[in-house]
Amino acid sequence: MHELVQQEAPATSAVPRKRGRAIVVTSGKGGVGKTTTTANTGAALAATGASVVLVDADVGLRNLDIVLGLEARVRHHVLDVLEGHVTLDDALVTDKRVPTMRLLAAAQTREKDDVDTAAFRDLISGLRDRFDYVLIDCPAGIEKGFANAIAGADEAIIVCTPEVSAVRDADRVVGLLGDGRDVKLIVNRLRPAMVRRGKMLSVEDVNGILRLPLLGVIEDAPDVIVSTNRGEPVALDPASPVGESYRQIAQRISGTLTGVPEIPREKSLFEKLFGGRK
Amino acid sequence: MSARRIVLTSGKGGVGKTTTTANLGAMLAKRGHRVVLVDADIGLRNLDLVLGVEKRIVFDIVEVVEGRCQLRQALIKDKRLENLSILPAAQTRDKTAITELQFADVVRQLGEICDYVLIDCPAGIEHGFRNAIAGASEAIVVTTPEVSAIRDASRVIGKLQERGLPLRLIVNRLRPEMVRSGDMLSVDDVTDILSAELLGIIPDDEEVIDSTNKGEPIVLQTESRLAAVYDKIARRLEGELVPFTTFGAPGFFARIFGKAS
Repeated sequence: MHELVQQEAPATSAVPRKRGRAIVVTSGKGGVGKTTTTANTGAALAATGASVVLVDADVGLRNLDIVLGLEARVRHHVLDVLEGHVTLDDALVTDKRVPTMRLLAAAQTREKDDVDTAAFRDLISGLRDRFDYVLIDCPAGIEKGFANAIAGADEAIIVCTPEVSAVRDADRVVGLLGDGRDVKLIVNRLRPAMVRRGKMLSVEDVNGILRLPLLGVIEDAPDVIVSTNRGEPVALDPASPVGESYRQIAQRISGTLTGVPEIPREKSLFEKLFGGRK
Repeated sequence: MSARRIVLTSGKGGVGKTTTTANLGAMLAKRGHRVVLVDADIGLRNLDLVLGVEKRIVFDIVEVVEGRCQLRQALIKDKRLENLSILPAAQTRDKTAITELQFADVVRQLGEICDYVLIDCPAGIEHGFRNAIAGASEAIVVTTPEVSAIRDASRVIGKLQERGLPLRLIVNRLRPEMVRSGDMLSVDDVTDILSAELLGIIPDDEEVIDSTNKGEPIVLQTESRLAAVYDKIARRLEGELVPFTTFGAPGFFARIFGKAS
């Protein structure tokens, strides 16, 4: 399959570049952590030296720029590029913390219906010639914005929280993604103490229904809210346990880490009292 | 007199629209009003799960619009509250299966048989959003104290104002101890940014997750502190002047031992 796509690479480069991977981060249900996952997974991949572009597909309700803390530096957006007002390079925002990462922002004052699905697919295809990873932050729902976001991706990450409603929506989205894509799961916002008390679905409960290869489990932690509000991805904080979870997800994506992901367990009373970080 | 037709919307998903619709509806019904809840999230319905009626769905709103059943046949009566009914969304169709006019007509018909129609809007500002607001006479914007949720709420408020829909704000999932430590925006911050009138403040409470999974609205659990919160919101909606509670942060011992204050 890689031989096939390599033939499509531009003939101008002396050594044909291996095409990058286009991965859509999606969920169906909103607010489960798609944007946070996109930002942190992207930052963790870029921190290993890979070239990464993050594409915000949520036209009209963009937020990836805020989560990355780049909102003040966005000059142009994806529709400016698609409509030929600016070049791709004009629209790409470089992240100063991780210089191999770029953001392509969504338009805030336009509608998803303004985006032509085929043109968006071509844009993603073009980005795959230039970057190792193209991560697409999908909007909530399964309307036009979803159709656009998945069009150019041959891999998908389903983000799901341990809630019945999120699992039901995720299941619907897995069906809509079809058989042609490599789909993996991230269980987000797990609270191990609630799982133990029988007040929250476990990772096994969630994946008993979805039955997807597990890429990672992210524990619910207040520092994610703080990092989102401040625009500083936790994946770039070497001391953050949640950041470490994202770094491991990045390693699983790149293939440098294999085996079953660790499922967070409840801390003992000793760890709670003397474990240092909250 | 025609019913009040209130859409609950947010822009951003996952801020608590469905939970708020279910609990506010249940509280209004508990207070003696006839209430119909409408799930406008065609294709990704969840209101039925939150109310625990998912196994009792026979018909849905798309079948009503397509004339396959009577509106009354599609309504599911809640077994706990006789004043409460729900009109479910279709799960295997998409939002374009219904036009704005058709949706507005269903809401108008519901308005003739009850006192409050609460419409649970899908996330986003696409076709599903336009349907959900089409038949509404007023709006409740649900947001959380997060920069991304507020930005999306601001966009939605603009769209509601274009339509001339009066709106009020519910700030959901407030964590007072995080506001105190400067790690979360305060309610004043949120209302200042959005310059909208406040209808209610709902503290973050992990019991909500459990109640959602079980399909039992938290307002039906008498010992829940959120029942009192929703009671105040319902009374404000009825027009009563109810002072706002400032939620104190849990004390040191409550934090250590994990008990809500």
